[in-house]
Amino acid sequence: MRKVYIGELEEVILLLVAMLQEEAYGVAITKEIQSQLSRNISVSAVHATLHRLEKKGYVESFMGGATSERGGRRKRFFKVTPAGGAILKEIQTARDLLWSRLPPNAWTT
Amino acid sequence: MSNDRLPPSWINRLLRALCKDDLVEEIEGDLLEFYKDWNTKYGRASANRRYLWHSLKFLRPYSIKRMTTKTTYPTMFFYYLKVAWRSLLKHRMYATIKVGGFAIGVAAFLLISLFLWDEVTYDQHYEQGDRLFRVVNQLEGEDMWTSFPAPASTVIRENYSGIETIARLIPYNGWFDAGDNQFRKSNDTKSLFETGFAYADPELLDILEVPMIYGTRDAALSQPRSIVISRRKAEKYYPNQDPVGQQLFLNENTETPYVIGGVMENFPKKSHVDFDFFITLSQHEFWPGEQSSWCCWNYNVYLRLNDGTDPLALGQQLKGLSEYVAEYQERNSPSEAEITREKHSFVLQPLDEIHLPQDFIHDTFDHGSWPIVWLFVAIGTMVLLLACINFVNLSTAKAANRAKEVGIRKVVGSGKRQFVHQFLTESFVVCLLAVVVALILVALVMPYFNSVTQKSLSLPWLSWWFLPGVLVFVAFVTVFSGLYPAFYLSRFRPIQVIRGNLSLGSKNTNFRSVMVIFQFAASIIIIVGALLVYQQLNFILNKDLGFEKERVLLIHGVNTMNEKSVLFKEEIKNLSAVTNAALTSYIPISGTRRDTNPFWLEGRRQVDAGVGAQFWYTDRDYLETLGMDLVAGREFRDMAQDSASIIINEEMARQLNLDDPLGARLDHFRRTWTVIGVVQDFHFESMTEEIGPLALGPGLFGDVMVVKLQSQDLRALVDNISEVWDNFMPNQPIRFTFMDDAFKRTYENVGRTAAMFTAFAILAIFIACLGLFGLSAFLAEQRRKEISIRKVLGATHRNLFGLLTFNFLKMIGIALVLAIPVAIAVMQAWLQDFEYAVPIGWEVFVIAGIGITFIALLTVSFESLKVIFTNPAEGLNAE
Repeated sequence: MRKVYIGELEEVILLLVAMLQEEAYGVAITKEIQSQLSRNISVSAVHATLHRLEKKGYVESFMGGATSERGGRRKRFFKVTPAGGAILKEIQTARDLLWSRLPPNAWTT
Repeated sequence: MSNDRLPPSWINRLLRALCKDDLVEEIEGDLLEFYKDWNTKYGRASANRRYLWHSLKFLRPYSIKRMTTKTTYPTMFFYYLKVAWRSLLKHRMYATIKVGGFAIGVAAFLLISLFLWDEVTYDQHYEQGDRLFRVVNQLEGEDMWTSFPAPASTVIRENYSGIETIARLIPYNGWFDAGDNQFRKSNDTKSLFETGFAYADPELLDILEVPMIYGTRDAALSQPRSIVISRRKAEKYYPNQDPVGQQLFLNENTETPYVIGGVMENFPKKSHVDFDFFITLSQHEFWPGEQSSWCCWNYNVYLRLNDGTDPLALGQQLKGLSEYVAEYQERNSPSEAEITREKHSFVLQPLDEIHLPQDFIHDTFDHGSWPIVWLFVAIGTMVLLLACINFVNLSTAKAANRAKEVGIRKVVGSGKRQFVHQFLTESFVVCLLAVVVALILVALVMPYFNSVTQKSLSLPWLSWWFLPGVLVFVAFVTVFSGLYPAFYLSRFRPIQVIRGNLSLGSKNTNFRSVMVIFQFAASIIIIVGALLVYQQLNFILNKDLGFEKERVLLIHGVNTMNEKSVLFKEEIKNLSAVTNAALTSYIPISGTRRDTNPFWLEGRRQVDAGVGAQFWYTDRDYLETLGMDLVAGREFRDMAQDSASIIINEEMARQLNLDDPLGARLDHFRRTWTVIGVVQDFHFESMTEEIGPLALGPGLFGDVMVVKLQSQDLRALVDNISEVWDNFMPNQPIRFTFMDDAFKRTYENVGRTAAMFTAFAILAIFIACLGLFGLSAFLAEQRRKEISIRKVLGATHRNLFGLLTFNFLKMIGIALVLAIPVAIAVMQAWLQDFEYAVPIGWEVFVIAGIGITFIALLTVSFESLKVIFTNPAEGLNAE
């Protein structure tokens, strides 16, 4: 089995990029983490993580069109690459495998 | 969108300045969206704060703009190195002078720094160092000293709070077994000479945190008559064994052996104490009642305070001690007691200040001196400064060589920044080379330097800070000495330079001249200093001391013969080549045994303050053997007849106000003496001190036999004497010194100062000459055309040489005028230490002036003659 270098926050953000589809950019992802996961995270941390994911080849990005609400500044949108999808699945499978082997009363004994 | 909903624009500017251009847009956009939320939620002020905070959080390694991306430096670096190297190789002689001169300057600076660092970091090795003190006496406006009567420490311990431990030390050479002794293991027959004995309370080991090899700090000295020896002595006498419990004899006193209680680690080199033997004071009394008497001042007192005790306040409280002293004095001399009550106080001195004390304190330890430290700080900085100035001078002097290069570079588009980079890189290369050479030089001269300074210094190669420190130093010096040449060279105007008329301006010459004058003034001061130190040394060594020290042999350790020593003396006197011999324990060499006692005119004990005089027991041959002259009266004749007779020196007669001292009666301790003679004042201490009062009492025996020799063949004579000695003392090797050697040793520190002065004088001259060389080369080059034309028009070589050198002579003249008053002031300060100082004569300045002129002319002529002798056609053809 190939070693997968991906952190927990990276995994969460990768999932969110996949989930948000067309709307996957810094602010949206940050807000999603804050609201869905009740985790307080700063937008700069999200940016840094996205940058890292892009370097690893799990997401790709492109600049969107200008909007007035951002004072004419464009957004950078992200999209999960096939490699990114593969790694998400890999993690999922590995976890499922481990979960399936858990005895029914694993926490009680 | 209204304006008040936008974040402060300076934050955006900051972001744009610091973040990568391709990231800044999205970052700003995202932040702006949040900003709007914050604005509605928390209000504007808070939103602004948050905006700034989050902006700053965006500054991460991936997003920060590479600051150097705009410069060409990284790409050009190796090219610069290459050019630097080539230009060094092209002007080999200059490169050598530049690197060599700089290296010598840096080496001197490093040596001085090491020396100073060593001086100021004495006694730093105690864990509780900030709580360790010694008690110092202070007689207001007069004197500071460290000795106390025996009961003082008990009184301090019992009456004052805040003290954890207190201990006494007797370091005084000749106080019973303190100082030097003949040492014999109880199971051995050989008795060997050892130095470094001191008496100590058991607690001293704890206060000084002495590491123990055998035994414990607490127990080693707790038993009466126990002794602790150092590791090196244990290795010498008891190799590879634990000597605790072994017996030993000092000076053949076999009835009272000492028992070894422990072995201590050798004292570190940088400790003010350096003893090899501690004899315990536990339950010891030197004579009945000694321990409780306030009579005799022989004990140094060391303290460890409790955490949080204020040493200043405690020192002030100790004033109460003076009452005990006064009470004792009351019996003998009420006037003295009054002075004590009024003026005698106490201070606590931290142990780490003992080596370099703020005020002069009388004690028996070796000291550094702040004036010397500051002198060397000044010399060190000056040498480094001179070296940097030279570097600047030499770099700019040869500017013409680089001018064309600069011109061409500018034409093809080099900016000022690139030049600064280039020339700083060159400076860096030179500095680095110089520092490497300097380090090698330092390593090479270190043994010599150590032998001169009596230290064991070394470069701390292995310390973590050393190599980074050297790099920082190189960087600093690079910028300091390279910045001016860099800007100077980059200022050239391309068109003018390429057309060949390089005008460097006369302002520059002035700057250079000032530097050279400064350098020469400094050199002259140092030369004058060196000359005067040597003169003073000669003066001391050859001054009429009031006694003869030539061809006098001192045989030490005679005391172990006891009564037989008189027989020994008679046998030695019978040797044909021996003029005379005397037995005593006191010799007029600084640092040997001393004994200070108060004397009064008979019956004036209660009225006058006593005269504190040296009191030496000598036999009847003493004065004659040492060639001392009697001013009045006679010598001792017969010990039985003269048992209450005393001989005093002129100074003592003066202090006792005796116009006709013969027959005067003096009270001293429990006796009364009659003066039978007055000896002419002789120097029995170092020349740094005045001749004090001295009294000679009649004695029969002593530690030392003073032998006056007649023969020139000293070798054979010494053999004869050794033979006689061996008949008397087969188990104790003879130990002797020549008095003039012992005398010279007293002034070793003056000799050291002289040697160091000389070394730095040579250095300073050398560096100054480099500066002069640079300037003369510069001027000769500047005036090349002028010289050529003069030559064509018929000027002789001599005319031209005069023309080129006259200016320098003028500069040396100015330097001399500037240097003389400074030199006089500095040297007067140094000579003030000596009670008997050589006068500062004009001849030292003449010698220094002529010397420096000669050297300077030699330096200047090198480049000048080169220009003078070149074919004028070449000089004019240079367009």
